[in-house]
Parts: sequence; C-alpha cells; structure tokens
Amino acid sequence: MTTELTIAKALNLALRLALEEDNKVLLFGEDIGKLGGVFRVTDGLHKDFGEHRVIDSPLAESGIVGTAIGLAMRGFRPVLEIQFDGFVFPAFDQIISQLAKVHRRTSGSVKLPITIRIPYGGGIGAVEHHSESPETFFAHIPGLRVLTPSDPQSAYSCLLSAIRSDDPVIFFEPKRRYWDKGPVDHTQSSSDPWRARIVRTGSDVTVVAYGPMVKTALQAADASEYSLEVIDLQSLSPLDDRSIADSVQRTGRLVIVHEAPGNLGLGAEIAARIGRSCFYDLEAPIERVTGYDVPYPPSKLEEHYLPDHDRILVAVDSVMGA
Amino acid sequence: MPIDTEPHSRDLAVQLLTPEGELVTHESYSLDLTNAQYKSLYREMVFVRRLDLEATALQRQGQLGLWASSLGQEAAQVGSAFALEKNDFAFLTYREHGVAWMRGVDPKKIMEVYRGTSIGGWDPLEHRCNNYTIVIGNQVLNGVGYAMGCSLDQSSDAVITYFGDGATAQGDVNEGFVFASTFDAPVVFFCQNNQWAISQPSEKFVKTPIYRRADGFGFPGVLVDGNDVLAVIAVTKAALARARSGAGPTLIEAFTYRMAAHTTSDDPTRYRHENELQNWKLRDPIERLKVMLARHGIADRGFFNAIESEADAWAESLRNSVRSMPEPAPESMFDDVYAEKNEVLDAQRAAFIEYHEGFADSGAQS
Amino acid sequence: MPVEIFHLPDAGEGLTEAEIVRWLVEPGDSVTVNQVVVEIETAKATVELPCPWAGVVLQIHEVIGAVVPVGGQIISIDTGTQTQREPVLVGYGVKEDTSLTRRPRKSATTNSHPTSSRTTAKPIVRKLAKDNGIDLATLVGTGRDGEITREDVKSAIGGGVIPPKVSQDQTGERIPVRGVQRLMAEAMVASAFTAPHVTEWVEVDMSGTLEVVERFKARSTERMTPFVLVAAGLIRAAEKYPRINSSWLDTSEGADVLIHPNVHLGFAADTPKGLLVPVVRNASAAHLIALSAGITTQMDKARSGSAAPADLTGGTITLTNIGVFGVDGGTPIIAPGQAAILAMGRIIKKPWVVDGSIVIRPIMQLTFSFDHRIIDGALGSRALASVASYLADPALEELLLKD
Repeated sequence: MTTELTIAKALNLALRLALEEDNKVLLFGEDIGKLGGVFRVTDGLHKDFGEHRVIDSPLAESGIVGTAIGLAMRGFRPVLEIQFDGFVFPAFDQIISQLAKVHRRTSGSVKLPITIRIPYGGGIGAVEHHSESPETFFAHIPGLRVLTPSDPQSAYSCLLSAIRSDDPVIFFEPKRRYWDKGPVDHTQSSSDPWRARIVRTGSDVTVVAYGPMVKTALQAADASEYSLEVIDLQSLSPLDDRSIADSVQRTGRLVIVHEAPGNLGLGAEIAARIGRSCFYDLEAPIERVTGYDVPYPPSKLEEHYLPDHDRILVAVDSVMGA
Repeated sequence: MPIDTEPHSRDLAVQLLTPEGELVTHESYSLDLTNAQYKSLYREMVFVRRLDLEATALQRQGQLGLWASSLGQEAAQVGSAFALEKNDFAFLTYREHGVAWMRGVDPKKIMEVYRGTSIGGWDPLEHRCNNYTIVIGNQVLNGVGYAMGCSLDQSSDAVITYFGDGATAQGDVNEGFVFASTFDAPVVFFCQNNQWAISQPSEKFVKTPIYRRADGFGFPGVLVDGNDVLAVIAVTKAALARARSGAGPTLIEAFTYRMAAHTTSDDPTRYRHENELQNWKLRDPIERLKVMLARHGIADRGFFNAIESEADAWAESLRNSVRSMPEPAPESMFDDVYAEKNEVLDAQRAAFIEYHEGFADSGAQS
Repeated sequence: MPVEIFHLPDAGEGLTEAEIVRWLVEPGDSVTVNQVVVEIETAKATVELPCPWAGVVLQIHEVIGAVVPVGGQIISIDTGTQTQREPVLVGYGVKEDTSLTRRPRKSATTNSHPTSSRTTAKPIVRKLAKDNGIDLATLVGTGRDGEITREDVKSAIGGGVIPPKVSQDQTGERIPVRGVQRLMAEAMVASAFTAPHVTEWVEVDMSGTLEVVERFKARSTERMTPFVLVAAGLIRAAEKYPRINSSWLDTSEGADVLIHPNVHLGFAADTPKGLLVPVVRNASAAHLIALSAGITTQMDKARSGSAAPADLTGGTITLTNIGVFGVDGGTPIIAPGQAAILAMGRIIKKPWVVDGSIVIRPIMQLTFSFDHRIIDGALGSRALASVASYLADPALEELLLKD
C-alpha cells in the first residue's frame, strides 16, 4: 500500500509499526507523549501505546541517553528523541564514551540497539541552537551508525532499518523538510538504506548530497543546463563511497553539498576518498558547496549561509570548466 | 491566604502581598519601600507586560520569528532584579524580559534576537546581564563561575542566575549547585517554577519541592510566592546579602505560572486545562499591587491612567522600531567569530563577497 | 487565495467583549499591514485595531453597534498570492522555495580554480605522458590557460618509439651519472631516438687481412693491426660512397644532408674514463702506416687523459672494435651528427666453404648501422659490402708498394 505523506507523518507511521511489531521498542524523549513532539512526529502514539511505551522524559539529554543505555542492556530497544540538534551536546559524553564503545568493550556480548532521532539543519527561521548540522561529530566516531533520510519514503524505510538494527544509530531528520509530501510504500522500499542511492541519473557531473540538501540538489539539477547525477548519501556512517566512485568514473566530476560548515565536514572525507579512488577519472578538482565556517547566523541571514541551487550551479560551472 | 503549593506540599511560601492586594507580615522577611518605589515597581511591571503583549502581537504579524512569553512572571522577574546592586551580574534564560528590562537592556535588542537580525542582542558587560541562553541550564554554571570570579577578586559583587523548573533536571544545574556550594560562590539561584516545561507539568519531574533540594547540596533554599513582587524583593535581597557576606549560595524557588504558551507556536490546549489558567488569573502579580497602591492611597486613577498612556505611546514606538528594523549585511556573519586575526576566515569572507557580487543583478541588491 | 480571518483580540487585561464603533474600510478595499481597519469600544476606552495582514477586504462580519465577544470573527482579508510562512515552535517556519530558476551570474565572473606552478595537466593526462615517456615540459598545451590535454599528449606519442619501462626494484648500488658521462648518455638517447637506425652485418674471411698484417710486421716496426685495415676499408667505402660520411641537418625549409669532404674517423676507445671517441682527422686509406700511427697517437692521448676537446670532436664516421671483448656483432648507435657507424667483431676460426670444401678460416663479423633518413638500404648494403670485399682481398701489393 502506498500513500502520500509528509516526512513527519511517514516517521510517525514507522514509529507506530516499530512499536507494534516489537514490544521491546520504547520511545523516550522530551514532550513526545501528550504533546506528540514539538514537530508532532510522535503524535497519537502515547494515546495508543501508553505511558510505559511512549515516555516523557525529564529535561536532560544526558539523562535520556545514559538511561537508555541501561534500558538497552536490560533488553529494551529504545528509540530516543533529542528535541533539537543544538541540544544533543549534553548527551555527547554518553554517546561517545558509552554508546559507541560498549559493543567493542564487551566483545559483542552487549548490543545497544538504540536509535537516537534528532531533527537537524536550518531553514526554519529559528533562534540559536535550532539549525545546527552536527552529523560529522557522530560520523567521525567508530561504533556509531549515522543515517539521514531526504524524503517521506526514505524517512519511513530508514527509520525502520535504524530501529531494527542492533547497532546504535544516530538518525538525523531534516526538519525543514518535515512538511514535504511524497509517496510512501508501506511495505518498505527495496532500496538499502545503508547504501547511497541515485535519485536522479545524469552524465556530466555527480552531485552528492544528504538530508535537507537532496531536494536543493534536485532543484539545481532542474535549473541546470548540464546533466547532473544526484546521489542521496543516506548513510553517513558507514559511508558508501563505492557508489559515489562508480558515478564519478562515469562523469569525471564531483560536487558535494552539505549545510554543515565546510571545514572538516563530510565533504572533506568524501573528497579525500574519491580523490584517491578516482584520481585518474577526474576531469576537474572536486568542489564542495557547504555552510561557512562561522556560527550559524541570525535567521534573517540564513539564506546566505545555506547552500542553495545558485551556489551549487556555480560549483557545477567550475567543474565543467565553464 | 497562604499560597497553595499543592501537590508539592503544604509548605508555606514567603508572602508579603496577598493576591487580594493585602499587605501581610512574615516572621523572617520584611520590606520597607518608599511610595515612589512602590509606584515605580508598578510602572516597571506594567511596561514589562506591555512589552510581552506587543512582542506576541508582532510575532503574529510575522514581524518576529517567535516569542517566549513572560506573561504572569512579571513580579518574579522585576522583583528579583529590583534587589540587585548596580555591579551585580544576572544570568538569564530566554524568558527573563523583566530582568533584562530592569538591567537597562533596550527592548529593541531583545526584539532583534527574536526577529532574527542578531544572535545576542546587547553587550552583557555593559548591562551586567548576559545574553539569552537558549540551551537549558548552561547559564547556571556560567553564573556560578562568574560568582567564583567575584570571590577571587574579593569584591562584594554578587550574581543571580535564573532557570526554570524543567531545568532542574539538567546536569549543568546540579553541577552548578555543587560548585557553588564547594566554593561558597556569591550566587543566588533563582528558579521560576512556572509549573510547565513545555508540555510537562513540574510535579512530574520534581519529586521534592525545588527549594528543598538546596538542603541536599548544603545551602539554604526558600520558597516564595513568585507573583508577590514585595516578597520576591525581600527574599532576593536577603539571599544577595548572604552571598556578599561570603556565606555562599541560596536557592530561591519563585512559585509562579506561565500564563501563555511555551513560545508563540506552542499549543497549550493540547496538554493543560483552561481551569488552571483561570485560577492563576486570580493571583495576578500586577493586579494585586495595583489594589494595594489604591487601597493605601499611594496611587490614584490618574496615576494608573498615566501609566497606561505612557505604555501605549511606548508600545507604538516599539512596534515602529521593530517593523523598520534594518537587516544585517550578509557578510556580517563573518564578523567577530574570533578575537584575533584569522586569515583563513578572512579569505572565506572575501570569497563570499566575491560570489555575491558575481550575480548579474547584484548592483540592484540593497 | 489564502483567506485570513481577524478575530477580536483581547486589547487589555480581562477584556471579554467590545462594541464595534466604526469601520474604516469596506469589502473590496486594499489594506496594508497595520492599517487601522476598525474602532472598537471597550469598558475602558475606544481602541483602534490594526490589520495584521496585507490584502483585500473580503467580508466584514459585524455591523456597527454589534457587541462582539473576544475571539469573535470581525473581518476577513484575502491575502492574495502572498504565501504565509507557518511559524514553528522556534521560528518563522519554512520558506517556500518560490524561485527554482537560476539567478544569472555576471559573465566576467572568474571561478577560483586551483593553479599549478608546473605545467597544468589533469592527473590522467600526466599518467598518460609519464607512461609513454613524454616530458610535459616539451609540449605546448592547447587546453584552457595552456593546459596540456589528452590530445596534446597523444600527438606527441604519435609514431615514436616507446621506451621500455624501468624496473620498479630500487635496491642495489646506485652509481651517479654526471658530467661527461651524463652528456654522453643524453647524446646517445638523442641519436637513438632521432635517427632511424638500420643495422646490417656481414661475415668476412680475414685470412687475406691477417696476411697483410703479418707482412707489415715483418717489414716495419710500426704497429699494424686488423683494426687499422678495417679502418682503411671504411675510409675507402666512405670515399666511394660519400653519403655514408655525412650529417642530417634540420633547416627551416626541412632538412639537408651535408656530405663531408674529408673523413675524420672517430674510433671508440675504452679508457679509464670510460668510452671516449678520439678522432683521426683527414684519415686516409692511402698510407696504412700513417693511418696506424694516427690511430695509435689518438688512442694514447685518450687513454692517458691528455686528449684535447679537438681530439674528441669533429668525427664524420665512427669505427668501433667490439671484437676485443670477445663478441661478434651488435646494434651500434650512430654517433650524434653522423650518418653511420661500423663495428668489428672478434676474429674467430670457423668452418668456411672454399671451392666447395670446408676449411677452417679466421672469420670476423662486421656490423654496420646507418641513419635510414640519409642512407637507403641499397647504399648501406653496398657500403658494407665494399668494406667486406676490401678486407677479404686487401690489394696487398698495392699497399706494400705505397708504404
């Protein structure tokens, strides 16, 4: 069955299915119960599954993640919500020191099948700390998986895969796209969320993006005189550079797009890997279109900070030698 | 009538002015103000509320991105700030418009933050009042640290750091308690228990009345009727005096109510009852002071009307300033990232400007 | 067309209702944000209400004199195509992506390209050049800003010789090549890869030559060796076929073959300094003793290290004796600027057919390399054959009489 849903609703549906199919699944986070979440992603779940499955937590991110680790050791499968990207940092200690390391430390005896859902990215005209892109901090840490969908279908499939995974998964939800609508196949898509996927084929330039920037990349492709191949990374860790290399071997040109600041962002890792594996396939230097290396600006300036289709097209011009 | 702090306990909160506008005494706290001071308190609270109402309206008109309302908390904020000495330092969350007002921060600067033209708004050092801290609890540790600095300087300056009931769950707040107690930091912890942390009622996560936690950390805590501006001033003054004397921190729990939503796009009808709101309307902070002033002949109708008119005029000018607020230059996002020169960033800024001037219509852009 | 409905706000604390006093607009009027649209009377005062939206008045819901409760609808505004952002908990909300067309750039915009202080070429082009022994510095790039393209490299490869790949194993003693030796190496490379070499060989029965050598030894104290006679043979061949004693010169019109009037015979000498090629100027085959003396003199100079540059340059044809090392033949490389080189191998007893019978004869191989641009196969073959026939039958009496 396929229905037209927003990303928020698709996530809601995935959570509902996860709660139904496995009674060890718990939802845990601030204001996710009665309120249904500040973006309504958990709407209606508290009512249907009760306060022991959909749990409102105290106001403490470190507490949420720290206790979830204990819950997971007890056999539960916690799905956590951090209310906004900029608020994950109190939990960073638990995530790095424990969540990422326990499986290794216990030689595989203890699994921590925890999913941490975090709305991220800018473009909603917000005040400080609500428009961050901290995905690189997590992708950098061995032991964590990092996943980010870009549309309703991938939101649905990726979230289910994340919850079902026995590894800890940081699940970044592009909040500016929460209201974007698209078809969702409830039987789950055939695409593997742990691999990158080509969302638009092309022959001149490979454009790699993830999360909120996939739509922006597609907009650039629509407006471009060149034939752009757009790849949605989906999995930031592990990084499917193989799929990117396959594409670059055909096009010879690569542009990487992300909101996070360019310095040491995911684009740097991709550029290093592709620079090596496709050294003899490249017709031009690899270009990155990213946020600037400044704190996220006041909302009146965020359009100048965030990559848009114009900036992507200037990068495309550059790699095309135009 | 003592404040009912159910379901926490039947503890009595310090009160000097009842919701009905009656002056009462308290065994440990008293306050002696001049008529002028009473009238000034009234004026400040009226203006703070007006500020809040205007900002809310401006948000509805799309002039502000959002607004975190302080409606109902005027006494807690104006009162506690009134008690501060000039050189004391206040650490705020994002809702203490009354404190910022009392510290001399131009409300336009607060508007800039919520409009999205500025991140910080004002100079903390100029107003001895930190920029709004949106990450819950961070400012508590920062405030304690500042107080530790005052101590090391052997000055008599003190610090007041604000936070809400929900924030008491955060590590930073609890660590702040430990550090302040360890170092006898000259800090007043001012918790506005406005009963709600977005959708979560405080009794869910506060199993002991907040003010009693102080005991566990080794310093005194006091419960005050947060809508009683006189009691708030009295307990805050006492706590500040204690801090200045080197005796260490105090935790004040100001029992009050968040009359509006968490922010302008929150929908409280989803999680709380209209009844509650009505009950708390009967405990309005400004109304009770007005009644007291009138009853005791300190102020008359003429005074109250004058304040209203003054507030109207001021509100008009505020509206106009907000609507005509200039937008910052795009390249200003590169300003002040570092204190010292950073050539890499300078180069990026230059490239940014070059990129923007590269548009065919860039001459036309203002 | 989005319609916004204005509800009566609470204009002051505790307001529950208000009376409509005056409408300042009517349906169809355009209104701007904050334009006062109505006056209301509350318990306290008359209040003007500003309109929160810009648009066109659609409908007025309450008449003058009506008492409206707070929250009641009073006026509807059609806000037209203006899309309102739906505010979120923390901000304005998402902006509609209205423009998906590209904002035009100035044509003069230069996109910052990385540049190189070396010649610019893509990695794949560099690899192509390197794999084919092409030095990028020798090419002129036809790409943007002088970038060397694939096509540029492919043209340079053209019909050229592909040198063998160097072994990757870098262990072992490293001997630097410097100075003279370096220059000689470069000269060899230049010769080998500029002049198309053709090499031919022939075996000669040297018994006649050896007999002459014996006769000279008996008569004179001067040195006489088969080498001298081979040299004489070569000189005579050069006199008979002057073209083998020439140089290829590239000119602006194309090329010239410069035929030298005299034979300045260069001969390879193995010296402590390595291979040197001393030259006997104006070498003549007429007087063998003189020729031998000249060769000896130059050889001694070269071996003792006292040869002047003039002794080592200016040769027009070269003879090399590889037989002293015990080998028969090879593919000698023409000295740069010359047209041919002759190598003599060892003299070794071999079975030979004479008058139908197998006899043992002293046999020597002659190898002749020549520049195929200057000397064609016929000429080269004839020249070699003439040397061979001279050595086979050196016109002994003639030589003895002269000397």
